Amino acid sequence: MKFSYIAPRKKSALTPEVQLLFAFFSVTFFMLFMTYAFLLFKDYRFSEEKASVIAQRENLEVALEDMKKRIVFIQKEQVLAEKVFTGNVVLKDSIANLFDLVPQRITLSQAQILQNGLILYGITPNRDVYNFMLHAPLKSIFHRSYSSFYPEENGWLRFVSTNYIDEEKLNEN
Amino acid sequence: MFDKLFGALYLKVFVNIIVGRTTITVYVEYCSGDEVTESFEKTFETLNLTKAVEEYISLHTAESPYFYISMLDKSQFQGALPSCNAKEHAKFIDISSYQAACYKNAWTYYTLKSDLLLVQKEYARVGLDFIFSPFVILAEFFKEKIDVHTAMFVLVEDSFLSLSVFENGELLFAEHLDMFYKEEAAELLIEDAMEDIGINIDLENSIDLEDIDADEELGDLEDFGDIEDLDEIDEIDEFSDEKELDSLMTQKEEKHPSYSVSSEGFSEDYQRFSLIQTSVKHFYKNPKYKSVFIENVYIADAVGLGGDLKHYLEDEMFLNVHIRKMDLLHEMCSMAKKELG
Repeated sequence: MKFSYIAPRKKSALTPEVQLLFAFFSVTFFMLFMTYAFLLFKDYRFSEEKASVIAQRENLEVALEDMKKRIVFIQKEQVLAEKVFTGNVVLKDSIANLFDLVPQRITLSQAQILQNGLILYGITPNRDVYNFMLHAPLKSIFHRSYSSFYPEENGWLRFVSTNYIDEEKLNEN
Repeated sequence: MFDKLFGALYLKVFVNIIVGRTTITVYVEYCSGDEVTESFEKTFETLNLTKAVEEYISLHTAESPYFYISMLDKSQFQGALPSCNAKEHAKFIDISSYQAACYKNAWTYYTLKSDLLLVQKEYARVGLDFIFSPFVILAEFFKEKIDVHTAMFVLVEDSFLSLSVFENGELLFAEHLDMFYKEEAAELLIEDAMEDIGINIDLENSIDLEDIDADEELGDLEDFGDIEDLDEIDEIDEFSDEKELDSLMTQKEEKHPSYSVSSEGFSEDYQRFSLIQTSVKHFYKNPKYKSVFIENVYIADAVGLGGDLKHYLEDEMFLNVHIRKMDLLHEMCSMAKKELG
């Protein structure tokens, strides 16, 4: 106020038009910034998800390997089980056959099944019954068959029959 | 910072309003930096802020947020006082009801607060940024003369005269004169004139002193070596004593009955001359003012004066008259620019 009685009114460049322009640009920049922020966030989320999926895939791969190993193991177990089962069935059949072999007049007291043989303990009324009814079939099965007797007090005979299969001969067949 | 940056980019629009006798003149200047890019001027046949005036101003102010509306103070109750000291002012007026401002720490210009508020209220729809005192415009216009001369400086407006007496940059006397008083104002003026006479009667001794001064003046005027002129001075002095009241009253009565102003330059120039003469007498007679002898008068002509005023002043008051044309609107505009720095 050098020359005037009154001071000039405060002037501002922020006219309604400029304010509108600023509002427009502010909103635009805000939206751009928000979009950028959203994209950054999505990118971050995507990276996280990607890392998570990779980790998951690695875990699954590990699990798959484990699973494969388990499958192999189970397959082996199955084979073994089948083998055992088969063996058992064979054994059962063998035992059944064995007991079928034993005639009515001979009583078995003990039977020992070996890897390549069979040892039978029992009582027979006499040596002939044993020889004809038991020893003969055993001899047809096993390659080597040995029998030993010792008398009982009542006149019967206790016997021990030891029978072996020779693997060499089996291979030859 | 922000405003400064934008302020440099935007145009500055200076709107200058002068309320004349029957018209309002609006001068608009568009400035880019220090360069004036466009200017417009339009006169409206009204005295109020009509819709047309308002629209014209708004049309230009809408061009830039940096617009400044300036107006010339038209209050009858304005003036200027020597010194910027409030205690000194008390000798002349009770400054409390006036809005005053100091000009370059040398003198004070003032106007009636209520008039200032009234004009601000009247122009509230467009708003005002600057209200300039005619004395300040006069001082700026004759800056190089005021600082080195002892002279009377007069700003002649459409219906006002702003008269001031400077002695080497120091203000001695200032008066704002209205050429067209309203009736009640005229009555007051007559009363004032009566009072002046009363003072003259009371101060009879001072009349004697004036006679002595007149003798001194005659002594000074001997340089002219023209006895007829001296006789004329005697006659003027005689007017100033007793016939003055009659002449004053006659002049006022001539002026006021119809308020109709003669379109001829002659009567207006005579009115101006009469007002100047009265004012100068007041300056000489009032002991409150430091008295110096006025030889030169510099007139800022804002209306396009005829040659009559110059002749009256030269022939009747023996003044060396210098008239300089002034475009008041342009001066106001440059004042607004100065004000903004």
